[in-house]
Amino acid sequence: MRSVVDFTLEEISLPRREILRSQGVPDEADLSGNFERIYAEAVELFRVLAEPRGIIDRIELPGFEEVFRGEGLNEKENPVDRIYRKSDCLALFAATLGPVLSGRVTELFDSGNYADGYMLDSVSSCAADKLADLAAAYLQSELTGNEPSDEFLRVLPYSPGYCGWHISGQKKLFEVLHPEEIGITLNDSCLMSPVKSVSGVLIGGPREIHEFDNSYSFCSMCTARTCIERMRNLK
Amino acid sequence: MELLKQISENLQNGFDEVVVKLTEEAVEKRITPEEIMNNGLIAGMNVVGEKFKNHEIFLPDVLLSARAMNRAMEVLKPLLIKEGIPVRGKVVIGSVKDDLHDIGKNLVGILLKGAGFEVIDLGNDVPAEKFISTAIEENAQVIGMSALLTTTMPVMKKVVDMAKAEGLYGKVRIIVGGAPVSKEYALEIGADAYSYDGANAVETIEGFFAEGI
Repeated sequence: MRSVVDFTLEEISLPRREILRSQGVPDEADLSGNFERIYAEAVELFRVLAEPRGIIDRIELPGFEEVFRGEGLNEKENPVDRIYRKSDCLALFAATLGPVLSGRVTELFDSGNYADGYMLDSVSSCAADKLADLAAAYLQSELTGNEPSDEFLRVLPYSPGYCGWHISGQKKLFEVLHPEEIGITLNDSCLMSPVKSVSGVLIGGPREIHEFDNSYSFCSMCTARTCIERMRNLK
Repeated sequence: MELLKQISENLQNGFDEVVVKLTEEAVEKRITPEEIMNNGLIAGMNVVGEKFKNHEIFLPDVLLSARAMNRAMEVLKPLLIKEGIPVRGKVVIGSVKDDLHDIGKNLVGILLKGAGFEVIDLGNDVPAEKFISTAIEENAQVIGMSALLTTTMPVMKKVVDMAKAEGLYGKVRIIVGGAPVSKEYALEIGADAYSYDGANAVETIEGFFAEGI
């Protein structure tokens, strides 16, 4: 089943701590008045300019196997390969904050308002990551309906470019999902436009399928390390 | 000198309008542009750099100061050219071919300008040939490349190889950066250095100039 979803701005959490950490700001830091002003203005501007939309399309295991195989460049051993095979439900997804936000970041930089541009970009990047969680929550509620959430079922998003799934996997994903319907396109380098967009697969199944030992060969090169937090949240 | 101290302090606070006004006032008072630049603006940016390193201030604060520096330099640049005072150095920067991410690259450019370098920003989606031809035409001493995708990183190697073929290797230093790029990758492709953020890029490039390029 294919769904186009207009997310509301209220659904997108903007955790201040997370945004500041992404800028290298320690939790206990004393921030200047200038910093606080720029931060508040960026959050306000984000709320005015963001146009969050997503597309979610269920896919059967054999269909996803082909998508995941992509251009054949995935790491030989990777966690996604193990996780999706144990899933109860799979869906491709793509979501975007729309073109206006990215355009405003560029405008701010071009007009010399570097600090404002940087802060808006930072807030938007954090929000874009949250879109994947919203897509997962959407599928989770579809699966559990109006019943109380199944405490054993967990839907988590996985994306090309992470966890051994090669970035070139975007090509096959786009061929099957067609996120152009909500304005997301892919360039030859597998970069999405608008830049503040996310895509991947939503994998639903018992919570333990999402747990893995992050000691793959590529884990030491990873700067995101979000898997640790994700696995902690499963509990 | 009190006026230069005021320029430095206001620059540290990111008050760009005030810094421009004070710079114009200093010019009117016949303080040499070189002195205004070195003892007012660059002195202020040095304090900003130190505070940033010590986590007393953060990138948005630095960027406010960099804007003030850049605006004041617009006042001074024609005077510096007229007096034949050379810029600190010329750096060509860009995000490599097929890479449309440019925030990191922009930050490097802003901070380099803030440190007194002349920056030729080629933008994003820059072919290897463009980096090389611009470095030659502009007589630049440094090429800085950014990539945020593993798929676009090979362009960096192409630039290094072309620099060797054009006889630039050893004359033009090459620095690379971006999320998937590492020190090991820089070494592997023969780049001169890797930088993990904008402030580190400025420090590394300053190091090149201190070594005489």
